[in-house]
Amino acid sequence: MQRLTPAALIWGGAWFAMFALDGRVDLASLAMLPVLAATIAALWLPVPVSLLTSVVAVAAFNWCFVPPRHSLAIDLHQHALLLAAMLALSWITALLVARLHAETRRARRHAREADQLRGFAERLRDAERPEEQAAALAAALQPFSRAPMVQLICRDALPERNDDAAALISGTPDADQREGLWACARAGHAFGPGTGRHEELAAWYLPLRGRHGSFGAVLLGLDAAIDADSYSRAQAQALCDQIGLALERQAGEQAARRAQEAAESQAMRNALLAAISHDYRTPLATIMSAASALQAQDARLTPAQRQRLATTIVDETEALARFTDNTLQLARLDAPGVALRLDWESAEDIVGAVAGRARRRYPDGPRMRVRLEPDLPLLRCDALLLTQALDNLVDNGLKYGGESGIELLARRDGDAVVLAVRDRGPGVAPAWRERIFEVFQRGAGQERPDGARGAGIGLAACRAIARAHGGAMRYRARSHGGASFEISLPVVEVPVAAAEARGA
Amino acid sequence: MKVLLVEDDRELRATLKSALEVEGYGVQTAASLSEGRALLSHAMPPDLVLLDLGLPDGDGETLLEQLRRRHGTPVLVISAREQDGHKVRLLDAGADDYLVKPFSISELLARMRVALRHRGIAARAAVTRYEMGGLKVDLAAHRVELDGAEQHLTPTEFKLLARLVRSAGQVVTHRALLCDVWGAEFTEHTQYLRLYMGQLRAKLEAEPADPRLLLTEPGVGYRLIEGH
Repeated sequence: MQRLTPAALIWGGAWFAMFALDGRVDLASLAMLPVLAATIAALWLPVPVSLLTSVVAVAAFNWCFVPPRHSLAIDLHQHALLLAAMLALSWITALLVARLHAETRRARRHAREADQLRGFAERLRDAERPEEQAAALAAALQPFSRAPMVQLICRDALPERNDDAAALISGTPDADQREGLWACARAGHAFGPGTGRHEELAAWYLPLRGRHGSFGAVLLGLDAAIDADSYSRAQAQALCDQIGLALERQAGEQAARRAQEAAESQAMRNALLAAISHDYRTPLATIMSAASALQAQDARLTPAQRQRLATTIVDETEALARFTDNTLQLARLDAPGVALRLDWESAEDIVGAVAGRARRRYPDGPRMRVRLEPDLPLLRCDALLLTQALDNLVDNGLKYGGESGIELLARRDGDAVVLAVRDRGPGVAPAWRERIFEVFQRGAGQERPDGARGAGIGLAACRAIARAHGGAMRYRARSHGGASFEISLPVVEVPVAAAEARGA
Repeated sequence: MKVLLVEDDRELRATLKSALEVEGYGVQTAASLSEGRALLSHAMPPDLVLLDLGLPDGDGETLLEQLRRRHGTPVLVISAREQDGHKVRLLDAGADDYLVKPFSISELLARMRVALRHRGIAARAAVTRYEMGGLKVDLAAHRVELDGAEQHLTPTEFKLLARLVRSAGQVVTHRALLCDVWGAEFTEHTQYLRLYMGQLRAKLEAEPADPRLLLTEPGVGYRLIEGH
């Protein structure tokens, strides 16, 4: 109706002007007015109405102004030509204007839809989890349907069977609609009017398509008032496909990440196995030869020889036990979410226990000094793990740290407590400093400078233990020669109760 | 002396049995909890039980309960490294001491000696005296001497030392110490224990950072070295 009003006004104005100018201008000039009116009115009127109006206008012009007036008869050839030209001109311009108008409308709609697609694409690109953009998709699809929309979105590839639990479903679909959504997702093809499938439906089922499969489907209930043309469907499908592609990209990224993690853990396992097979074989070989000597040569051995062989077996077994502990911890701490048995520990306890154990293991070993800064805070740690790490460092220090012995040191360093094992030995060559904490892989050109056997797994375990406590393990070359292996642990505030205990 | 060895590994069982027999112990062996339980209910009670954790048919705790209730027989727990939590639980439940596999025979014999001695003492009178190096403790007289000079301990320090003296040579768990010295509601307050152990070492050890008397058993508890 609103479109008719401007057209009617224009025609009214034109007729008013014609009657006003009648007799003052010639007939041909007067004839321009209805042509002009038809042209302008065509902007608002549908094409058939425009054409009909033009016919009526020409007839009325003939009736009112072409002699003989008040009759539809035409007596002159020139008048017939004028009327024919008027009609032709009105029709042509009406058609042209209508087409121009349609073109403009379509261009505007295109631009709007392109904007919508781009906006949606940007939104998806920034989204961590595309499935959370379901609401945005619903908003984008709003113009196509006033009925409440139903979405079914799978985060990963479609499950083997229709499993509602594996998908995010928004809206409240009935059983038929669920079935339809799953079927549409599996077919990867739209259902509904104009799609060539299930034309009888009063709704569109649109799949969320990726390049290699669908990730769900959307149910758009169609509204009689809305133009369900193939053009709208293409736009709705394009929006759905964008979310499908985003889901596919996410699934791909996740798969890649998983594959990488699997490869890393495989590499870690391989390195561990390589280190284990080497570090275990050596003590095993020694134990085997000593034990078999006792077994086969028993009668011919002197008591001293027998004692020496037995001592070798005991020592090598202890080394083997140490490797086993380190390997187990390394494998355990490598797993995500490992639980430590944390408790409040004093550095004095830990360091003292480590020193005592080392003294028992090496009764005639190099000198060992223990230095503790006074008033160190309590540590929040797993005492067994921490003593194991320090045992490793002390072991290495006593074996490779030179004749002058080692120093076991605990001191405060800002927000951390540093537990260090230091020696005045040859230290670690610069090329090795970064790699000594990696699980040692023996290979061509990788021979360890001092053949420190088992140190690879031991140091890797130390680092894993320090990191599991939120701390760090590092090597520092000492200024006057020697090595310092340092575990730093963050200081954690002790609960108030401890302060009360001090006063008690 | 009769020993019951509950251990499921055949080789280790045989090796320990022969080593203990060389030392003059009479050894009965069981490969599972049920077998151990059966032996306990039918035969004469042993003087000491060596109990391996990780048996095929269940938790050693049930056996421990039976032993504690009926005979007061000392129990040594043998555990693997990864059974730390389990081990501490058994110690808290009344086991006397523990050994972590692999262990040496001399370690085992030393632990057994201490456990048997404590049992003998328990049957007679409570320990009231302790002497090691320059340290002399007389619980009845409330007196602590170091190299001939009397040491003044606060009441809490003395209670802590006394608890360790009563179990000298044996590990005493954090929980047991906190419970006996501070009270049952303080069993989670390990930080108290750390502070007082530090103070005690400062008074009694020549070098507190490298203690020779008051030893730490990481993750388990403390052990006062066996006296003369």
